Amino acid sequence: MVSIDSIPGVVLGGVLLAALVAVGYLRRRRRTMADGGYPTPSERETELETEKPFGLVRWFTTVDHKDIGILYIVFGVVAALWGGTDAMMLRTELITPGKTIWGTETYNGLFTTHGVTMIFFFALPVFFGIANYFLPMLIGADDMSFPRINAIAFWLLPPSLVLVRGGLITEIIGKLLESVGLSALAYPLLALTPIDMSWTMYTPMSSSLANPQIDLALLGLHLSGIATTMGAINFIVTIFAERADDVEWANLDIFSWTMLTTSGIALFAFPVLGSAIIMLFLDRNFGTTFFALEGGGAILWQHLFWFWGHPEVYILVLPAFGLTSLILPKFSGRKLFGFKFIVYSTLAIGVLSFGVWAHHMFTTSVDPRVKASFMAVSIAIAIPSAVKTFNWMTTMWSGNIRLTAPMILIIGGIGTFIIGGVTGVFLASIPVDLVFHDTYYIVGHFHFIIMGIIAMSMVAASYYWFPILTRRMYDQRLAQVQAVLLIVGVTVSFTAMLVIGYLGLPRRYAYYPAEFTLLHQVATAGAYIIALSVFLWIVNFVQSARTGPLVMDADVWNLKESGQFTREWQWFERQLQERRGFERSTPRTPVAEDGGSGGSSDVGDGGEGGGGSDGRDD
Amino acid sequence: METNRVTGAIAGGVAGTAVLTLLLILLEVQTREQIQAFDVIARFVGTPGQTTVGFALFVVAGVVAWPLVFVAIRDYIPRGPDPAAQGAIFAIVLWVAFAVAGRGDLSGPILILYAAYTFFAHLAYGFTMGIVYGHFRGGSQTSREVYAQQ
Repeated sequence: MVSIDSIPGVVLGGVLLAALVAVGYLRRRRRTMADGGYPTPSERETELETEKPFGLVRWFTTVDHKDIGILYIVFGVVAALWGGTDAMMLRTELITPGKTIWGTETYNGLFTTHGVTMIFFFALPVFFGIANYFLPMLIGADDMSFPRINAIAFWLLPPSLVLVRGGLITEIIGKLLESVGLSALAYPLLALTPIDMSWTMYTPMSSSLANPQIDLALLGLHLSGIATTMGAINFIVTIFAERADDVEWANLDIFSWTMLTTSGIALFAFPVLGSAIIMLFLDRNFGTTFFALEGGGAILWQHLFWFWGHPEVYILVLPAFGLTSLILPKFSGRKLFGFKFIVYSTLAIGVLSFGVWAHHMFTTSVDPRVKASFMAVSIAIAIPSAVKTFNWMTTMWSGNIRLTAPMILIIGGIGTFIIGGVTGVFLASIPVDLVFHDTYYIVGHFHFIIMGIIAMSMVAASYYWFPILTRRMYDQRLAQVQAVLLIVGVTVSFTAMLVIGYLGLPRRYAYYPAEFTLLHQVATAGAYIIALSVFLWIVNFVQSARTGPLVMDADVWNLKESGQFTREWQWFERQLQERRGFERSTPRTPVAEDGGSGGSSDVGDGGEGGGGSDGRDD
Repeated sequence: METNRVTGAIAGGVAGTAVLTLLLILLEVQTREQIQAFDVIARFVGTPGQTTVGFALFVVAGVVAWPLVFVAIRDYIPRGPDPAAQGAIFAIVLWVAFAVAGRGDLSGPILILYAAYTFFAHLAYGFTMGIVYGHFRGGSQTSREVYAQQ
């Protein structure tokens, strides 16, 4: 008698798989049409070629750069809200000097997950999303070079986020299972508590903490690094190979330049992080000694980590610079001042970013001569940043400035970037850094940049391109209120932190001396203002995308007037015309945005005069 | 698709309650079980400690009771004719009741988080309920046309 045990598992699996394939094949053949009949082969082919699947299937199977861009943006926003909840909890804990709500353990977990979530899963995915949607349009490409790799790069991110943040969820599931008497199942889940080694994962702490959730988090971070590298390669190849005939290097738009540089940095930085993470993983689980005292020691981890970690800062900020340089001229009524120098400074930052990592290690035992050279480069990197800032100011100089919501955010972003940048110049100096190291001054400094120009340029871009994304217009007054609230919240919260740091309070502690209470409460109030502005943004965005007034005229921002009606808007105009049959408004020769781009003889030549401006005011 | 109002409302209630439950569980996850919203409901109805009772009550109210009330008084809720916006307004009233009843033993700064987060969760509940209701009732939801297909 043949028992089921004697059949090899592979055969069973194969039979099962074949059955599944057969079922799927049959079901596919018998799919009914809307009129109740079955499709003929030719009808099926037409369907495949011309239509996207409907509903959820569309979003799970898409390889279209616009859909993937939206997926990236939605994912980034969800991650930002989750990481933002962490931040609100941190600030709430710090309202009183002693224990307010949670103990130190939860506080440590919170600032770790806040940092990891925001750096890995919010900032870069959102910029990749914006670039995925608009970069091919800006350079006149049909799609990204490798659409499928693009989709894979995105779909690696959700599992990474779950792996990194899993500790909290499994804790709850574990407690639930325990309460219904399934302790055996609950035990492994309860062993996974939230990671609390801080986002820098310094050894020897990260290599010696027993919590197995750290291993899962390391795998998740590694996965997200792979995703980023794949995305970066895709952007580089797309910009090199897919440009339209009339898009030369000389007239490539500024956002594509910054995305190219960002991707270049990511290509060199992320593999280093990946290797370091694997080494740490091996140290924790397989007895290697890369970061043990008898091996490379704790300093090796810091070198490897910051060789990624500091360029990462520029990976995040360069797209923000790009968006600022792109949007600012539109509402200043002038071309970007010194386009070439903005490009050169972008490239300079790209190169210099790899020469500044050891400024995070001024308080360690690194050789003073090495430190001095890193101090020199760290101060030098302020120069290209300042070039940009002055060029932005000059762009606005005697321009026709329109204070729309995106413009308010861009100007606010430049302002906060100046505060964040100047405080950074001080920190680049070794003696100053020795005093301020690991105080709230550092937190204030980098949040002025991250919550300032980085987040603000994202929100500005979301408003600026809202009509293209949704074909609708948002509530402009609500958006202006939101923009101002965000700027006020950021300034209040992080100025208070700079002051707290000046007074010498170290960061990363749940409890603090009572004399800092008022300043911490001010910082918390600022954080709540930021949360309010985020809430207004979501309400405006969701509701306007559903029911906002339809855009009829593609020239929402009167860009034709100043000759800045660039390729993505021309694409939008074609869409409107094809889909709705609206007349285009009188074509003016599209003048180069900066340095002569967008000659675009393929559009803008079909207008039959007048009309069309029945759409939106601004 | 035209369905009767009760079916549409209950479908909306199911979707909205799912979203609200998810968000409240996420709140429990984030705060490491400081708030225990369902326990609080159980205490409120006089069966302290019986989380299951609290949860069951929460589901019945969210799926059946509130959506029916919503349908009955919809004409008097501002921000029409968009049922999603009306649902969000309606949910704010529910949130006031929830925030007061559910506060329980919470006091001090965590109340700020609790209030803000449950407010957001309730808005999401009302909004989702309204969207699904509008979808099942056909019309009133502005069509997004073929544009979404591009």
